[in-house]
Amino acid sequence: MDAKSRILSRIRHALKDRPKALLPEHPHPAFSQDTMELFLKRLAENGAEGHLVDKEGARKLLADLAQGLPGAAYGKGVPDALRLLPELPPEEAPLGVSRALFAVAETGTVALSSEDGRRTQLLPPVHLVLVEEKRVYPSLLEAFLDLKSLPSAIGLHSGPSKSADIGQVMVKGVHGPGRLVVAVLQGTW
Amino acid sequence: MRVKAKLYPKEAARLLREQPGVREAVTGATLHFEANRKRAYQEIDAEAWRERARRVKDHLLTHLDHYLELAEKRLQEKGVQVHWAEDPEEAHRILREIVARHGVKRAVKAKSMLTEELGVNPLLESLGVEVYETDLGEYLIQLLGEPPSHIVGPAIHLALSDIQRLFHQRFGTPLDASPEALAAVARKVLREAFLTADLGISGANFLVAETGTLALMENEGNIRLSTSLPRVHVAFVGIEKLLPRFADLALFLPLTARAATGQRLSTYVSLIQGPAKEGEEGPQEVHVVLVDHGRTALLHDPEAWEVLRCLRCGACLNACPVYRQTGGHPYGYVYSGPIGAVLDPGLLGLEDTYPLPYASTLCGACYEACPVKIPIPKLLLAWRNRAVERGLAPTWEKGAMQAFAKVMQSPSLYRLLSKALRGFPLPQDLLPLLKAWTEGRGPLQPSPKPFHQLWQELKE
Repeated sequence: MDAKSRILSRIRHALKDRPKALLPEHPHPAFSQDTMELFLKRLAENGAEGHLVDKEGARKLLADLAQGLPGAAYGKGVPDALRLLPELPPEEAPLGVSRALFAVAETGTVALSSEDGRRTQLLPPVHLVLVEEKRVYPSLLEAFLDLKSLPSAIGLHSGPSKSADIGQVMVKGVHGPGRLVVAVLQGTW
Repeated sequence: MRVKAKLYPKEAARLLREQPGVREAVTGATLHFEANRKRAYQEIDAEAWRERARRVKDHLLTHLDHYLELAEKRLQEKGVQVHWAEDPEEAHRILREIVARHGVKRAVKAKSMLTEELGVNPLLESLGVEVYETDLGEYLIQLLGEPPSHIVGPAIHLALSDIQRLFHQRFGTPLDASPEALAAVARKVLREAFLTADLGISGANFLVAETGTLALMENEGNIRLSTSLPRVHVAFVGIEKLLPRFADLALFLPLTARAATGQRLSTYVSLIQGPAKEGEEGPQEVHVVLVDHGRTALLHDPEAWEVLRCLRCGACLNACPVYRQTGGHPYGYVYSGPIGAVLDPGLLGLEDTYPLPYASTLCGACYEACPVKIPIPKLLLAWRNRAVERGLAPTWEKGAMQAFAKVMQSPSLYRLLSKALRGFPLPQDLLPLLKAWTEGRGPLQPSPKPFHQLWQELKE
């Protein structure tokens, strides 16, 4: 017998006389607070910056962030209209720009797909994430129940990289970006 | 890993005597975590969340064979290579083959308690692979050659001055360097390692059977980097770490974060469904090693199996007045604190871990903190009962307990003896148990009047 059969047979033996526990249903998702207001509030509490902008506002936000920078790394889903700086590899770029799969108000989170590109999401010290207004979900449960297909990896980002491992003092930007900026885009784009 | 749990009382006493700074550092860190957890629980209907999580986990564990086979199938459909390992030797063989096939020279590791159980770092080093722990706390203790002392914060026993001294010796930073400056040095070393490693090694917080999703939680970003940059990713997963449905993550991710650090969600969560697709960045190969190492034996145990619900959040450590005194090292195995006291005997056998179930005041704070309602005090008592039954506890303990029970059940005997003790106090320096008490405190002084009498006087 191989390891798998031995492990499974021991489990079956162990469970032989044990009563089976029922699987509870997911709770009915119900979130009464205003989603956008909560999302921006929770982002701020997580140490990230959130902005609700139209197309022109997004360009302005990007232009402000890009000031004095030689270039930026871009996720695959970032529209051409928002690629204001020359493209740099993520290892060298001072700014990374990604397009999120969705966002969650409850936890102040943006969800990033591996299809958009992982290095841009992790290596530059500043990370700007674009997310469509209609892709902001009230709760994590609603977002997960609504997912139709899964990419090879999803990263849920809820604020800048941080650690308190050195003498319990909070340090930002330990491995990932020390600054997370989220632009919620109104309308379609 | 070598198990040193038998030495618990001696090691705990030695640490308190020789390294009093540890108590200060650990107490400070755990009180901070504990206050954050309480605040985070108050924000939600914690009782309802914990009960739901308990029920999901009990369902999973009572259908474990079904969900393991489903998880394997889903992982394979996504192109993940699945391995099964009963013990550390089998896990080593699997890892050795992967290292040889890919000519691995350098590996980056994301903190994982299971890889501590399996001794992954010593194995890799013996194969000539350079291993970098990439969690900042874990990196510090790797430099010091120490095991982790806390499930979530492996280096909470170190004071800032300890780390300043370490980095001064290793990297020549000033002795008064700020935490930011120290972190910047570590970031530089580890960034280089991420970009050049051939292999990334991780554990998993959860493995979803329905979708074959590996879920990993962290705050630094090192786990996302370890599982994104190297061309091979190997995840070691305990067989009890499964969840039935993808949407169960919506409960378990935030609940674990709230219990562990008081956050609504950890800063980074990686949900991994397989190797990179054509034209995509990410590892070309993903391996999942499903590890037993004592877990099926625990599942078989009708009095102890509930401990398998554990999410490894560390909340019980932070709540424990006993853990706070010494941190995790004296417990002598990977899992310390209240959960270690009931998990280690189950994984390793009571013979090698006998003192651990006694490392508790039975105050119940661990149960109140536990996100999956593991009845830790009940399990501690079950292990203590067995220690007495198997003759592991000293024989005088059983006799003394029986005599104590007899006295406490008979009011006349109780009064007679307490009167005698007031007249003729015990020779406190001679009895070993009392000596241990009086060493750090004043002598025991019986009240001149019995409580019974004081109560009567108060009423009058």
